[in-house]
Amino acid sequence: MRAISAIVVLVASVLLIAACSDDDGPTTLTVITHDSFDATEAVVAAFEQEHGVTVTFVKGGDANQVVNRAILNSGNPEADVLFGVDNLAFRRAVEAGVFDNYKAKRRDEIPADILAQFGDSTAVTPIDYGYVNINLDRGAELLAPSTFEELTTETWRGKLVVEDPATSSTGLQFLASTVAYFGDGGWQDFWRDLKANDVLVTDGWEDAYYVQFSQWGGDRPLVVSYTSSPAAEFLFADPPVDRPPTENVIPGPLFRQVEAAAVLKGTKAEELAREFIDFMLSDAFQQQIPETMFVYPVIPGVETPDWWRWAEVDVTPATLVADQAEIDGWVSEWTEIMRR
Amino acid sequence: MSFARGARDGWRWAIPALLLLAPFLLWPLGSMLWRGVAPDGVISGRAIAEVAGDRFYWGRLAFTIGQALASTLLALLIGIPSAYVFAMIRFPGRAIARALVTAPFVMPAIVVALAFIQLVGDVGLLGTLWVILLAHAFYNVSVVIRLVSGVWANLDPQTEEAARLLGAGRVATFTHVTLPALFPAIASASALVFMFTFTSFGVVLLLGAGGSFLGGPLDTLEVSIFRLATRLVELPAAAILSLVQLATTLAALTLYSWLQRRTTATFVLRADRSRPLRETSTAERALLAGVAVILGLLIVAPLAALILGAFTTGGEGAVTGANFARLFEDTGRVSYIDPLQAVRWSLSFALGATIIAAVVGTAAATAVARTKGGLGPLVDGLLMLPLAVPAVVLGFGYLTTFNRGWYDLRGSPWLLLAAHSLIAYPFVLRAVLASLQGIDPRLPEAARVLGASPWRVWRHVELPIATRALLAGSVFAFAISLGEFGATLLLRRREFATMPIAIFEALGRAGEANLGRALAMAVILLLVTTVSFLAIERFRYREVSPF
Repeated sequence: MRAISAIVVLVASVLLIAACSDDDGPTTLTVITHDSFDATEAVVAAFEQEHGVTVTFVKGGDANQVVNRAILNSGNPEADVLFGVDNLAFRRAVEAGVFDNYKAKRRDEIPADILAQFGDSTAVTPIDYGYVNINLDRGAELLAPSTFEELTTETWRGKLVVEDPATSSTGLQFLASTVAYFGDGGWQDFWRDLKANDVLVTDGWEDAYYVQFSQWGGDRPLVVSYTSSPAAEFLFADPPVDRPPTENVIPGPLFRQVEAAAVLKGTKAEELAREFIDFMLSDAFQQQIPETMFVYPVIPGVETPDWWRWAEVDVTPATLVADQAEIDGWVSEWTEIMRR
Repeated sequence: MSFARGARDGWRWAIPALLLLAPFLLWPLGSMLWRGVAPDGVISGRAIAEVAGDRFYWGRLAFTIGQALASTLLALLIGIPSAYVFAMIRFPGRAIARALVTAPFVMPAIVVALAFIQLVGDVGLLGTLWVILLAHAFYNVSVVIRLVSGVWANLDPQTEEAARLLGAGRVATFTHVTLPALFPAIASASALVFMFTFTSFGVVLLLGAGGSFLGGPLDTLEVSIFRLATRLVELPAAAILSLVQLATTLAALTLYSWLQRRTTATFVLRADRSRPLRETSTAERALLAGVAVILGLLIVAPLAALILGAFTTGGEGAVTGANFARLFEDTGRVSYIDPLQAVRWSLSFALGATIIAAVVGTAAATAVARTKGGLGPLVDGLLMLPLAVPAVVLGFGYLTTFNRGWYDLRGSPWLLLAAHSLIAYPFVLRAVLASLQGIDPRLPEAARVLGASPWRVWRHVELPIATRALLAGSVFAFAISLGEFGATLLLRRREFATMPIAIFEALGRAGEANLGRALAMAVILLLVTTVSFLAIERFRYREVSPF
């Protein structure tokens, strides 16, 4: 009998705990984002107060998975706003018709070449951008490679770890850079040479960076990461350091990943969803982008923190326009070359 | 083996499991598979032919089965001697040791990968089959230890003594008397370990990265399915491989269940027969030492490396609590997860899932035990299916089926609780079934002859005997919920983030402080797990009386 009453009490307490956090306010706005999304509580609270709403963020995987979820739930979205669709994944989303068009108030201030990467479509609003490149562990005391070709030489045998473009958006962007640089036919040879040069492929960025990269216990001094990673290493160093323990390697023109926001078709809070997209282009939001997401604000000239200087790089953005079938083609071909 | 002659109420006992399976497994899974196999509303033969004609996927299937068999064998080789030690010798610190060897069970694969690498550095093990087998042993030895030692400790010593008196040697007594009595438990443990390693995901993905074996990558079917499903265009191939995985596991489980019914010997259970250390023989002490060294290297050392990592920062390696201080410091970001909240949610889900799993699993075990003839093994196999379902397929299935009107459960913690319960109850089912099938058929028969209804037989004869097994199964149900990551990842919300999610969030960002936060959270997960296990053990020893 005592056991039964104990169980009853346990069940009741579980129900109670779960019930407590279940009630949403009268008006809520749900924003589905990729995993790397972040913002300061203060800036979001300002939006909530101004509009009298509660904003709930749902993390939905990487850029690719967030779009997949939107397509699988087409017409019946799990959120009102989607943030994190990028210039590679957006065509698929637009073709599936999951977004409503919206021309944001500050859209004209966004550089034209960035808007052009989405074919000037108003289905999405660019919010920030970043570059995937190679990071070198300074501790390895090696002279950074200066071209893509150099990575296939004996000096760099067994030194590089990359992410699988089929499962990692970081990996896909790096692949895109090599496609843009070498062109069709050339990029396949480059990857064959890399494979012969003992490149290591991991499934995701976490594994590549924290497990295989020599900065963090692995044995590979080169890792495919972001141009802002050294700045992050500088900011989070413990104890503080004078300069980052890693450095940017720019082997050529780099694919520029632009992350955008969109109103999801079928939302019951369309007006609010539009307000939120305008809010993401406001100075207050744009200014905190480097410190929360380690990418570059899309509105030129907004104030950035001092340590962000370690992320200032001189990059030529690669010009690359591709549709979904082409992207799928690269990934299949890459998988064929690297995995079999 | 139909010990419950006259009890024809098997199907009724399957109702709780069906109530859980129909909405939370069959519906979402069926909808995803249908979407994949029949993208245009009719079954596409071309997609099936494409996958079936691809030698690459046949290679994956062979590799998946092969590594699962090897991992199961390794777990048994280490687990059975360890089970003897835990069952027979009351050595100091036994309770803590038992809790510790089970702790790996809840560790997210990325944390285990970090721990292994902090421990061994790079000695050429990464990306080899060996590191996968070792990691599988690390995860699964405790399944063998717990299920086998639970029965071993309560075997009636008189049977063995009788065999010895009749002139049987030590070896003959072990192979002819002890082993048959242990067989149901060993088979249960093997089935679970096989299932786990057959569907292995995180370990293979992270530790097997870049490796190859016999000309193919170290990818299990589950990993292949994940790679395909995350690229939406490959959904058909993902669905077909999921069906292959489900069919293979179902066949293996049915075969196993059929074998178990044919070979199970009944045995009489007595009170715990373990002896204090000073009463053990020299051989037993040598065994204890050997087991201590192996489990120490395999399990304790990686965990110790993890703890050490959490308590150090920077290059100097001085012990500091800085990582923990940072973990509890609110970053003022919308991504911040309060570690205490994460602990609370993890415990709530685990508690809820364990209670549901105990009820559903015990009823399901009774259903299997009372289903007569050739149908029993099939029912058993079907009830075990939740463990064979690829997490990514189930997760997507949840998001696309529970999405309308009153059953729009996207973003609800209840959906997560259902998912956890679903993958937790098979543990209870396995443990309790092994115990029910070991009951001397004369016991329930006597009760029936004396006029007891099937319900009374169950309540007053079978359930008391199975209580110990129920608690052993519940420990795993609790653990599996604490460590669940696959479905949780797709259904996660910051409002009810669990400990593994908090670890994942911290690891998603560059910088030492974030790695430190992740390691600190992993240590808290380890602590909560160990303390929970110790608490469940105490409960177990108070409740179970000798019979």
